[in-house]
Amino acid sequence: MTAGAATTGREAGVSSRGRISDLVRSFTVAARLGWALEANWTDPLLFFIYSVAKPLSSALILVFMLEVIGGPAGRSLRPFVVVGSALWTFVVSGISGLAWAILEDRERYRVLKYVYVSPSDFLVVLMGRGVARVAVGLAGVVITLLVGVTVLGVTFDLATVDWGLLAISTVFGLVSIVALGILMAGICIQTRQESWSYPEAFAGALFLITGAVFPLIVLPVVIQPIGLLMPLTWWIAGVRQSLFPGGVDSIGGPGSAFESIFGHAHPGTGEIALALLVTSAVVTLAALAVFRWSDRRAKQAGLYDQTSGS
Amino acid sequence: MSADLSSGLNATVATPAPVSDSGLSAAPEPVPAAGHEPSPETAPSHATTGAQEPPAIEVRGLRRVYKVKPKPVVALDGIDLDVASGEFFGLLGPNGAGKTTLIKILTTLLLPSEGTAKVFGFDVEHETAQIRRIMNMVAGGEQSGYGILVVREQLWMFTQFYGMSNKDGWRRTDELIEAVGLQEQKHQRVSTLSTGQRQKMNLARGLLNDPWILFLDEPTLGLDVAAARSMRELIVEWKAAVPGRTVLLTTHYMAEADELCERIAIVDHGKILAIGSPEALKRRVQRESIFRVELDQLEGGAAMLSKLPGVVSASAAAGAEGSEVSDRQVVVINLVLEDDSALGDVVGALAARGSQILGLRKSEPTLEDVFVELVGRGFEEGEPSEQVTG
Amino acid sequence: MATMDFVGRAGKSPREAAQWSRRQVLMTDLRSIRGRAYPRWRGLFREKSWVLFEILLPFLGTSAFVFVYRALQAPVEYVGFAVLGGAMTAFWLNVIWMMANQLYWEKTQGNLELYFASPMHFMSILFGMAIGGIFMSSTRAVVVITAASLLYGVQFSVDQWAVLIVVFMLTLAALYGLGMVLASLFLVWGREAWHMGQLLTEPVYFVSGLNFPVARLGFLGAVSVALIPLATGLDAMRQLAFAGAAFPVGTPSPLVEIGILVLMSIVSIAAARWMLLAMERRARRDGRLSVRWQ
Repeated sequence: MTAGAATTGREAGVSSRGRISDLVRSFTVAARLGWALEANWTDPLLFFIYSVAKPLSSALILVFMLEVIGGPAGRSLRPFVVVGSALWTFVVSGISGLAWAILEDRERYRVLKYVYVSPSDFLVVLMGRGVARVAVGLAGVVITLLVGVTVLGVTFDLATVDWGLLAISTVFGLVSIVALGILMAGICIQTRQESWSYPEAFAGALFLITGAVFPLIVLPVVIQPIGLLMPLTWWIAGVRQSLFPGGVDSIGGPGSAFESIFGHAHPGTGEIALALLVTSAVVTLAALAVFRWSDRRAKQAGLYDQTSGS
Repeated sequence: MSADLSSGLNATVATPAPVSDSGLSAAPEPVPAAGHEPSPETAPSHATTGAQEPPAIEVRGLRRVYKVKPKPVVALDGIDLDVASGEFFGLLGPNGAGKTTLIKILTTLLLPSEGTAKVFGFDVEHETAQIRRIMNMVAGGEQSGYGILVVREQLWMFTQFYGMSNKDGWRRTDELIEAVGLQEQKHQRVSTLSTGQRQKMNLARGLLNDPWILFLDEPTLGLDVAAARSMRELIVEWKAAVPGRTVLLTTHYMAEADELCERIAIVDHGKILAIGSPEALKRRVQRESIFRVELDQLEGGAAMLSKLPGVVSASAAAGAEGSEVSDRQVVVINLVLEDDSALGDVVGALAARGSQILGLRKSEPTLEDVFVELVGRGFEEGEPSEQVTG
Repeated sequence: MATMDFVGRAGKSPREAAQWSRRQVLMTDLRSIRGRAYPRWRGLFREKSWVLFEILLPFLGTSAFVFVYRALQAPVEYVGFAVLGGAMTAFWLNVIWMMANQLYWEKTQGNLELYFASPMHFMSILFGMAIGGIFMSSTRAVVVITAASLLYGVQFSVDQWAVLIVVFMLTLAALYGLGMVLASLFLVWGREAWHMGQLLTEPVYFVSGLNFPVARLGFLGAVSVALIPLATGLDAMRQLAFAGAAFPVGTPSPLVEIGILVLMSIVSIAAARWMLLAMERRARRDGRLSVRWQ
């Protein structure tokens, strides 16, 4: 190997390491900023309630719906709805985090254009900004599950937890939630200031088709495959399966679309993990494509430094 | 500049009423402390008195303290001020001096911590509704409005807040758009305007209700030279078009205050350091008139001129005696006169000695010189004063 | 520059010009409502993403609760309850996000101080915001109810249309009155108001019985009916819209709830007027009308 090539190789290595280090630094700085913004100026009690009251209320709405109709017989479904509702808080926080970062930085702080023209990777900074809200959502998940177990009578046995499936589900679930957040952020770049509610509306729509609070089999057969294409469906099923093995299956069942497609009624652990991996990858690529398109369009239209209230 | 501002006038643009300097030629005293009646030096010479219309602005012992951490900030520290109806009054001072705080109190957006302030006799604390009906305000760098609207709609919206009918609102909007020169942008979204265009729109908004008093808080901030000049011309024309219109302008651009204002208050650290016309304020620093005279020759030298009546001193400019400019000899003399009236004798004496005046320039102190004399530092050399936004 | 007659400049002094008749004050307030509603109205047609995100997707979110009831094989009236709750959510969200919380944005944009420096009553601005947003909320409510009736077979059985309409209008009046009260708080709370807005979503949905009869909450439900316009109005509307359906007992009759709504409307609007003045004074005292990032 010649000295020139060695130098080039070394430079390439240093360049890669430098680039990775820049990305990591951008991410951490943005994450710290996001956390400071989330925690700043608020009364700690209010902040705590915000991380507790919203997810718990969501869970209690469903628990009461069960009680109203099923009465004591409906209690067997409590783990199903409590887990689904708890995880959904995480979904909403994660999706909102990146989208609201765009809206806040553009409309309120008016720094979006400065962040954009800085050398840091815009998407990495955005993800860092959004991670604080993901952390807030995670706190809500844990608290809701704890309340479910301690107060709402959800039985839980640590010895039966499938840790492998839980780990895979958590990692790829997080990836897919962040991907959906990127998708929403791309959309919010194009929309006006009042689009604060859009991430929640989007999450609300997904709520219908991902088996979060009722099994997919309840939906019309033609709609169920849409749910099967969503990584969140497999993520929720994976977490449920890992924490409460043998519980109600949110994906399959006799006569379900899953059975029609795959030939058997219920997905196994491996199938759940594989489906989650594949759908996460597809959604991530799609989200990145949408974001890049939105970015190009925003540059053409000068949207990064416009305010757009009404 | 649009000629439409002048349309509808019965006369040509009126020049501002001259302010008598008779009370200001003596050594000016600082503004009296809070609680004292304003002295003749600080009151406008044509201020209304007695049972007549009250002054446009009347401030007594005004204090404003912001309770911020780590320690409270005194933004206004005992301000006394009178502005007559129809006056163009300036507040000149560096950033953090308290100008914006004073404007916010007078425009009823902020309460004073102590003291009183009145606009046309209406108290800013208790009679806000009346004040809001007859005033308007424009700030520099203002980004208010709704990006989704176009200029014409934005302005029409504000006409509704002043109670105009739909038809009158659109008519008024179109008049002002034409007056400020935004015809080409009237159907353009507010969010796509340039800085100068945005500020013109802001000024149009400020004139929608034909206010009796207009508060301008650094209206040319961030504008380029041409846009700033255009803005100043618009303001002057608007004020001159109808008698009785009062303007209170805050700025840290000395040239702007010098050009526009009949009287100026120099403000620093929440206090008024001096009030007077620009000329009177400059005379604090330099009572004499200083001229730089360029001659083709001078018999007898500069010392000869010193003997003339009204001449304090005359000396050759350093390094300039006998200097050459292009292809001829130029003699440059620095002349200090007791006042401008002595210049006539000097010119006569020069002519008698066969000197030809090639150039004559008056050297005047700037308002920053005034500020330096008052405070001991320039505008740019501010000590780190604690600024409070809002 | 031509002067306008309405200012009455000719022959008047500033002090005379500052004295407005009651008619002038009223017309200014009414026109201000129109003025503030205008950007909302215009925005609907200039940026149409709300059709998807404010109408269609929320309909899907409501549908999720419909399917929960289907999964539980609930009586069809309960599907109707969830649908009606989903329709009323639109108005509650309009109150929280497009009215109360909006002042937060108005302040950062610099509009708030211009509003306060203008002569109209601030309630006109809030009314204008509300009216500007009502089109979107109403469209959402209509879509949810219509689509749900068609897709999910929800059958409404209304015996007293006039009473139902009265209940609906009173619910809106009480909701928007409450929104004004919240707006006045947000004037001084700054960024904490944002979090309060978040707190007023799911927790209020729960205690208002958005997806299930509020009577099931027992004492908590009774308190909600007494205090939260959404709970009161929704319960009354359910009783009227599904007349004859088996209802859990425990909440007042629609006529009593109308009385409660009337009281809520009067109290909230009166409280809003008082609080807006008090909070404005406090905001002026603390310098919060134009401080950003608070």
